[in-house]
Parts: sequence; C-alpha cells; structure tokens
Amino acid sequence: MQLFIEQLINGCALGALYALFGLGFGIVFSTLGILNAAHGSYASWAAIAALAAVEQLKLPFLPALVVGVVGGGLLAVVVDQIAFQPLRKRGSGMLGALITSIAFWIILDNLAGTATGQQSLSFPRGSYPGTMFRIGDIPIPAMQLITVAVMLVVTFGLHMLIRRSRFGAAMRAVGWNQTAASLGGVNPRYVVIVTAFIAGATSGLAGVLGGITTHNVSFLLGEGLLLKGFAAVVVGGYDDVRGTAVAGVGLGVLEVMSAQYLSSGLRDGITYALLLTFLLVRPRGLFGSLGFSRP
Amino acid sequence: MKSWNLKNVSLAGAALAALFVHVGPVSAQGLAPGDYKVGFVTENTGAIASAGQSYWNGAQLAAEEVKTQKYLGGASIVLDPKESGSDAARAIQATNQFVADPSLLAISCCILSPVAGSLKPIVTEAKTPLVIFGATAAGLPQLPYVYSMTILPGPKDKATALTIVDAVKPKTAAYILAADNDAFKGRMNATREALEAKGVTTAGVVSVLTKDTDFTAAATQAMGLKADIILVYATQGAAAGAITALKDRGYAKTIVGNDVLSPASIFKKMGDSVVGVPFPVSFSDSIVETPEAKAFVAAYQKKFNAAPDIYSAQGYQVVWFIAQGLKSLSGKPTREALGQALSKVTKIDHQVYGGEAMNNGQAETAGTLVVAWSAEGKIVPWVAPK
Repeated sequence: MQLFIEQLINGCALGALYALFGLGFGIVFSTLGILNAAHGSYASWAAIAALAAVEQLKLPFLPALVVGVVGGGLLAVVVDQIAFQPLRKRGSGMLGALITSIAFWIILDNLAGTATGQQSLSFPRGSYPGTMFRIGDIPIPAMQLITVAVMLVVTFGLHMLIRRSRFGAAMRAVGWNQTAASLGGVNPRYVVIVTAFIAGATSGLAGVLGGITTHNVSFLLGEGLLLKGFAAVVVGGYDDVRGTAVAGVGLGVLEVMSAQYLSSGLRDGITYALLLTFLLVRPRGLFGSLGFSRP
Repeated sequence: MKSWNLKNVSLAGAALAALFVHVGPVSAQGLAPGDYKVGFVTENTGAIASAGQSYWNGAQLAAEEVKTQKYLGGASIVLDPKESGSDAARAIQATNQFVADPSLLAISCCILSPVAGSLKPIVTEAKTPLVIFGATAAGLPQLPYVYSMTILPGPKDKATALTIVDAVKPKTAAYILAADNDAFKGRMNATREALEAKGVTTAGVVSVLTKDTDFTAAATQAMGLKADIILVYATQGAAAGAITALKDRGYAKTIVGNDVLSPASIFKKMGDSVVGVPFPVSFSDSIVETPEAKAFVAAYQKKFNAAPDIYSAQGYQVVWFIAQGLKSLSGKPTREALGQALSKVTKIDHQVYGGEAMNNGQAETAGTLVVAWSAEGKIVPWVAPK
C-alpha cells in the first residue's frame, strides 16, 4: 500500500507537469488556431534561462523561476509575431502554421543544444527547495508539492481569466472569429500577443519545474513534454483548462502505475492508446465543448 | 686469380644483394607522401552529442599528432566529418557518400550499435575499412573491414559487480535497466547470472527507457524491492537520472553504476549524487600510466581546455589505429590493402588505456579498474565502505 501511495504521488507530480505544459498548448490552439509544435522549445528555453539566472546571476529560486517564465512568454510572443502573424494576415490555414511551427521547433531546439553545449545540465543543489517531507513512512519531495500546487493555482487562475473576465471573453471571441471579434471592439492583435505570452509562460513554468525535478535541462526537455501535453489537451478537451489539468494528472498517474504494475515498455503505448480512444470516441475530450477541429 | 676473382665477384654479389635487401624494402615500405582521407561520421548534435563531441575531439587531436610527430613520414591523416546526429538514415547517407569518394581510405563511426550494424553491409560490400568508436554490441567487428576500438564493457561490468559483491556481501540485488537498449540488456543479464551463481538473489528488474527524463517512479519502484544493492544498466542520461533519483529519495545502500558515469560532465551535473558510486572504467584522465596516455591528457587539456574522457580516448585511438595500419603499407595504399593491414594488428602501438590488444578486430585491455567519483570531482579507485 505504501508503494502504491508513493507512486500515486509521483504520478500526480509528473502529471502536474504535463498539465501545466498542456494548459498553454490548449490556449494557443483554442485561441490562435495553431497546433504549435514549437511549444516544447519554450519549456526548454525557459529552463535554460532560469538555470543561467541561477548560475550566472546567482539569483535564488523564485526570481530565477520568474526569469524562466517571463523568458518563455517573451519567446512565444517573438515566435508568434515572426512566424504566425504573417500567416494570419494571409489567412493561411492550420497546416501552414503547423509546418512553420515545426521549422521553429527544430531551429529553437538546435539553438538550445548549442546554448547548453549539447549537454544535459541540472540546477545546482541548494538552488531550489530540496526538503523531503515525510508523512509516516512516505517521503514527499518539496518540489513535487510545489509542482502540484503551482498547477492547481495556474489552472484556477486561467479558468477564471478565460471564463470570468472581459479579456477571457475577448480571447474566446478571437478564437472563434477574429473579424467578428474586431467588429465587436476587440483588438485581436493585442489579444493574440497576450495569449501567446500566457501560453509561453505556462510552458516555461513547466519547463523550469520539470528541469529541476528531473535534473535535466537540455534541448530535449520540451520534447519530452510535448506529446504528453498534447495528449492532455486532447483527452481533457482543448477549450477547457480544467479538462487539461485533470487529464494531465490522469496521464501522469496512468504512466507511473503502468510502469509499476504492468511494464514500462507498454507505458507510452497505453498513454497513446488512450489518446486514440478519445479521438475516436469522444473527440471533444472530457470537458471540451467542441471537437478537435477548428473552422 | 681465378678463385680470387670468383671470390670477389661472389662477395660483390653478396654485398649487392645485401644492399638490395636492405634498401629495396625500405623504399618499397615507405608510404607515399600526401594526405590520406578518413571519413568520420560525427555525432555532434542530437541526444548523445555530449559524447559525440568527445569522440570527435579525440580523433582530431590524434590526426594532428600523427602529422606533427611525422609518424607516417611525409604522409598525414585528414579527417572528413559528416554529421549524423546519431540517426541511422543520416549515418548511412554519410557512409554512402564516403564510399563514393575515391580519395577516401577508411571510415569511422557510431556510438549506437544499431547504427553501426546498419553500416556493416555497406562497408563490407564496398571493401572499405570501418573503425567503430563507440558502439558496444558484441559481434560488430568483422575482419578485414569492420573494427571496434571500444573496449567492450560487458566483461568489465561483470568483474566490477563481482568485486563489489565480494566486498559488500549483499543477499539480494535489484537492477535498473534501459529496457530499450539490447546492449545494456545483455550486460545486465551476464552480470545477473554471475551474481546469482554467487548466491545473490535477484529482487527484481525495474525497466526505464533511454529517452525518459523523470526517474522518480523508477527509483521508488527499485527501493520498494528492498534489495541490498542496486545495479544500474542504462545509458548516460538514464543512469544519471536514476542514480540521482535514488539518492534524492534517500537510498543509502550500495548503488553500482557503469562506464557511462566516467565523463567529467556527469560529475558536474550530478555532483554528490554520484560520489562513491562504483563503476568500471578503461580510461580516466586522473588514472593514467603510460607515457602516451599522459601525453594525450596534457595535449587534450591544452587543445580543448578540458579533461579528456573515455569517449575522447576512444576517438583518439581510432585514428592512431588507422595510422598504425597505414604505417605498415607502402606506396599509395588501397582500401583493401588497409583493411588487410589492420587485420594484422594484434597489439596497439600507441597505448592510452594500457595493455591494449586487438582480437579479431575488437580492442581489448587486461584487468578491470573499479573506480568512483570523489567529493572533489576526481575519479579514484573505489574503496568498499567499512
């Protein structure tokens, strides 16, 4: 039983990373209409920026985290304005944006590889909360608690922003029809830029927290999150952040439990079989109101 | 008079013959001056680029030394790099391009065994020597065209595990295995059999995947087996991640690593997580004995401002091995001739591991060095905990 509980906690913490990553991924898809393959690169670059802040600027954990998150957000805005805005102006479809995002994914990952000397780096011990809490015999690392808590706060915040604020209404309007939104007094360009920033920042948050907990800061960091984040969005429903959060945690738990009680070799197969099942049986996901397609 | 004349003629004839025997072969054995091109399939990008860069650095240094030391007289080795990113398709493409280049004599490649295996039929068909620098699967060498300068880690793993078992005397052992890597699977199975023969029961095998980044669950699973010792058979990233996760979760018993822990970048990344974890090593800059090895460490440090690791040593040895084969040839050698010459090499002239020999195209060394990282970041002989 103790092992089960320990693995459940591990699964929740891993799933929280998938969820965090998936939140931004889903927002970009639902608002900007882009299936952004470069989204993982924002996570890698955010972790690299935070690590540089720790090692070069000697910043403590929280300011370094902010550097990474803001860095991820700014990178997303830059990529959006260079890569996607011209396509948006020309009214290119989803395929053009997807191909462009793949190009940026490769470019940004190559640059990240160069920046890290093709090495897998890690945050120095002592630069992040390393306390191990114990509930009875069950050890819980502080970073796992922080990751889950951050995911819950961000999910709640994003849900409130999208569903209960004027800006959220503007986001949804732009996501549905930019022309109609601008006729209604919304500045689509502003909404697009802020949305891209939020998406990049949440991806960056996942990148920094993931880089710390997995001791892996490299160009491969985002790649590992990309497919799982995508799966979380599809399973959860891409237009509801609560669904992404639940599905992300569920995927993490499923992944860990499959490895513990079935086989680690089948782990990814199980995850993607679930993804396929949802696409076939319930394409709008757990909480989504729309299918996995955009006009 | 007649006999004198005959005697003198005989002597003169013998002298001429001796002169011919002495001079003739020397001029025939001399390698024609010029550049001899060796294709090098680099792996300077991709998931294992950190190792790939070390191989490439070592090879470049050796090529420079062959030239500056005039090891081949007026001839030198020129490396022609083509990047594969450890991708089999790109490695095959690069090899086909090398094969099509008539000025090229040999090829070197491959960290990954499947990639090396995919190049074997190409080079044997093209009768072009291929010297592998990193792949560890047994059976890759195939005379006279395929050679491996990687010291096979399997026997070292087994010897290391047995040494540690003798010192620690565990009753049960658990294994963390990169299940998607056949070479590590073979290494683990060989060690497991040896340990079981010594009465060490297997508590279980925890599988991880090479591309995994989160090892918390695997560490939890391994600790749940409550074994007296955990042996890790995984690629560098996975091994480092698994050991760090075990230490993070408070595992205080013996963890046994493998040779992937030896590069300095691992200590830099893992820090105290790896201190005291025993592993076998064929080369370490802090434990070198031969003059060639000491010179290699100094030259590498000077050129790259970093300490060489096992991978740089293997890349370095590839070029010196090819140079040794070339040295035995004369005139303008062909690829076939170089292949035949390399197949005759049984002892490596330029030693950096110590006691290096070639056995059916496979580099070997005698003995196993069981080492561990010290808290100061040096590789030191492993000492059993008291």
